[in-house]
Amino acid sequence: MGWIQAVKRCVGGLMVLGLAWGGAGVVGAAPADPELIQRGEYLARVGDCVACHTAPGGPVFAGGLELPTPVGNIVATNITPSKTAGIGNYTLEQFDAAVRRGIRADGKPLYPAMPYPSYAKVTDEDIEAMYAYFMNAVEPVETRPPQTKLPFPFNIRYSMKLWNALFLDETPFQPDPSQGEEWNRGAYLVQGLTHCSTCHSPRNFLMAEDSSRDLAGGEVGPWHAPNITSDPVSGVGSWSLEEIVAYMKQGSIPKSQAAGPMAEAIDHSFQYMTDADLRAMAVYLKSVPPIAEDGVKKPVDSWGRAHADFASVRGKPWPENPDELNGPQLFDAYCAACHQASGQGTFDRQMPALYQNTATGRLQTNNLVMVILEGIHRVSQGYEVRMPGFAHELSDQQIATLSNYLMQAYGNPDGQTSAEQVANLRQGGPVSSSNLILLARAGMVVGLLVVLALVVWLVRRRRS
Amino acid sequence: MAENLSADFVVIGSGICGALAAYKLARAGASVIMLEAGPRVTRAQLLANFRNSPRRSDWMSPYPFSPWAPHPVYKPKDNGYLVQAGPYPYPAEYIRVVGGTTWHWAAHTWRYLPNDMRMQSLYGVGVDWPCTYDELDPFYQEAEEIMGVAGSAEEHPESPRSKPFPLEPVAEPWAMRRLRERLQPEYPVVGNTVARNSRTFGGRPACCGSNNCQPICPVDAQYHGGLAVDAAEAAGVRLIPNAVVYRLEHDERDRIVAAHYFDPDKQSYRVTGKTFIVAANGIESPKLLLLSTSERFPNGIANSRDMVGRHLMDHPSTSLTFDADEEVWLGRGPQSPSSINTLRDGPFRAEFSAYRLDFTNISRVDSTTQRLLLDGVYGPEFEKRLRYSAAREMNVKTVLEVLPRPENRITLSDRKDALGIPQPQVHYAIDAYTRGGAQDAKKHFTRIAELMGGTNLRFTPDDAFANNQHICGTLSMGNDPNTSVCDRYGRAHDHENLFFIGTGVLPTAGTCNSTLAAVAVGFWTVAHILEEQAGVPSGKRAATGAGAGT
Repeated sequence: MGWIQAVKRCVGGLMVLGLAWGGAGVVGAAPADPELIQRGEYLARVGDCVACHTAPGGPVFAGGLELPTPVGNIVATNITPSKTAGIGNYTLEQFDAAVRRGIRADGKPLYPAMPYPSYAKVTDEDIEAMYAYFMNAVEPVETRPPQTKLPFPFNIRYSMKLWNALFLDETPFQPDPSQGEEWNRGAYLVQGLTHCSTCHSPRNFLMAEDSSRDLAGGEVGPWHAPNITSDPVSGVGSWSLEEIVAYMKQGSIPKSQAAGPMAEAIDHSFQYMTDADLRAMAVYLKSVPPIAEDGVKKPVDSWGRAHADFASVRGKPWPENPDELNGPQLFDAYCAACHQASGQGTFDRQMPALYQNTATGRLQTNNLVMVILEGIHRVSQGYEVRMPGFAHELSDQQIATLSNYLMQAYGNPDGQTSAEQVANLRQGGPVSSSNLILLARAGMVVGLLVVLALVVWLVRRRRS
Repeated sequence: MAENLSADFVVIGSGICGALAAYKLARAGASVIMLEAGPRVTRAQLLANFRNSPRRSDWMSPYPFSPWAPHPVYKPKDNGYLVQAGPYPYPAEYIRVVGGTTWHWAAHTWRYLPNDMRMQSLYGVGVDWPCTYDELDPFYQEAEEIMGVAGSAEEHPESPRSKPFPLEPVAEPWAMRRLRERLQPEYPVVGNTVARNSRTFGGRPACCGSNNCQPICPVDAQYHGGLAVDAAEAAGVRLIPNAVVYRLEHDERDRIVAAHYFDPDKQSYRVTGKTFIVAANGIESPKLLLLSTSERFPNGIANSRDMVGRHLMDHPSTSLTFDADEEVWLGRGPQSPSSINTLRDGPFRAEFSAYRLDFTNISRVDSTTQRLLLDGVYGPEFEKRLRYSAAREMNVKTVLEVLPRPENRITLSDRKDALGIPQPQVHYAIDAYTRGGAQDAKKHFTRIAELMGGTNLRFTPDDAFANNQHICGTLSMGNDPNTSVCDRYGRAHDHENLFFIGTGVLPTAGTCNSTLAAVAVGFWTVAHILEEQAGVPSGKRAATGAGAGT
């Protein structure tokens, strides 16, 4: 409500300020086309630049947010048109190289935390519009966030050249003439600016997207980005176009609610997109080759029913050890006030039902655990949604018990949660960083051994 | 003893006032030990206790009773903890747990009226405060910003403010809307100012209208002492629960040097500190001072002039219940959302008590059911009458002012609790001044019922005053040590390093709930202590407002 209006007002204000600055600052340059700038602003929203390039509570686009990656934290940079701290000196060509090919103005490669493998699909015209927006309508911020410092060998930015050679496809989006305009618009958006695959596609051992399993589900830190292929059981094939659009617009439909990084994407980006663009994306998503997941018996939103187990706990004292609280007791104390006695949610659907809901239908329970730990906070379409998190109140064992109870009572009973899993997620997710660093270092040792072996072989051949 | 029980500040009592003061001190870099007689509780457990309780309308039933830290319990029968010396019963309720009694409240967070603090000079009754409303304004604001107070400045001109309410008003329930519409222009019905979220605040959700504010908000939409304790502990305060302080010890210069406490097994511990803050509520704080006798202070700490425990005040209530001529369905939204504030001040205060008129919004289903069953009504008739009353029954009550009178007081009784500590005894009367207000209110009760098309008017009897648990006055601050316990900053007249924080220090009761005023005055005390200890000469100190922030 107030918040979102404030943001809108704020952004509007920035526009005005930025325009004034652009007019005064760019001496001799042709005045930027307001329509181009406006389109650029929309596209920057679609690309969700703000999500990474703004620190919580910090100035817009001034960078500073630390993005945890398996190899260490990458600090987002200042992309305001400041000439000292931001991208104020970037030419259109340099801006293009950074956005679509991951090359900074000084020629050094960016880390692919910047989704340039997706942005590579963006058209020249759209790059130009975004450039016009950033240069003319964004307020320059003269502060430089701290430098990214990754461990060896990732601190050598040129290691990314090799990565790019292996994984970067620099070809912009090519429309498919056999498909309609709407499909092509959707494909352009999904593959490009909205960079859905950045989260929703699995990654290989070198952290590159596995294109053979496009949008079949990926991991985003502790969160699981679900399968959004057209598979009717594992993906969103059974969702109507209207449901997909409503989900992206509002973050909530009866059978699914956005949390974590998806809620952020809706807050910052999707809710501002036109219905036509969202519909185009939905059309395209429903055509993405279906990929079925092993062990998934029926659609994730088709499990469970209204159900209450309070009779088993009424009048019984709580155990001395809080870790021995059972599922109905935890549900009674922490969930039922909002989700209601039988898990049916509220009549106005502000508090969703827990059954026939993707939250309780997956075999993989990370997101359910994450929602219990962190809660949900969305501000979309002028309406704020807040489910409180319980990380400070519930132990790992209690969350495991509650999660298993919710799955058994309202969802897919095959989806299991362990206290170890909760402990791991509480710390920020799977600890794979050391593995990747070790792998890279091991790879270099192997490379060195290969070179040595070659030298030895050459020397021996010369001798013989 | 192995562990070092010593700190810059020792705070006794972990209720909303003590915990927020401790939080502020810790944030300023001080070491703080906070002693709480009762155990830790969690919202979830209280909620489960409530849901498991066979006595839903007994709002104390979810709260654990600790033999080592007893508190008054009246249902199903009086446990006799608070000994009544008469002449009028004073069945005060409070809760001895970590976080204190605001676990269980309607979250009313009123500012006093400026005139409430000048009763003697304006109306010739009561006393004047030793500080002014304007001096307290920034501390009110700071308290409101920490607690997330929701309200409308336009609806509340009676308590001026220099900054806006932190939160917009909470949504108006239907029944309150109908009252507002039908009573205007004769009576402006306005939303109460409350520490209840109208939107997400402090990581807690907005009120969703569970109508369960008391005994416990199921979604944590209200601010309460438990949250204050969380903030204090996060700021570095060391909380010791189940620590029943039974004596304060002073040195030859009358400085307090230690607080002695019992654990539940009656092992005694001695906690030393540089500055002591007693924040253990309007009954337990004076009790502790009266217990702490020495040769030099035979009547107890801070009590050289026999003022400790006197001037006890609360807000007695009379009420009218009636059936409206339309269905209003009380029970949707918070329990206590709206009131009439135009009778809280005026020249009549020289003659009789001012009052606030408060509308309940508590669901009538439980009370009607109990009444009908007692009346032997069953079957279709039961359903018909339950539906009628649940839809139409309304209630308006007075929140009357009590003047500070030395004979209304807390003393020690000759009864002892499980640890052998004397139980508090209360001497209380409702005087002609307060009764005059109750009589004056009756015509307004009648008119309000008339405007709502009311029938079946049920007035409470003339001598039946309900109590509101706003225990204040027992540690009054004032400039004259002969009529007060502490100075304008809450410092004991008798002890340089002993301060009082809580509703006990409020010199008058006004016509509004006392918690916000106590927290604000507590912040004023803390600001004074910090500035004094930092070497700022008194008199030069400026109110710093919400400097330390939330």
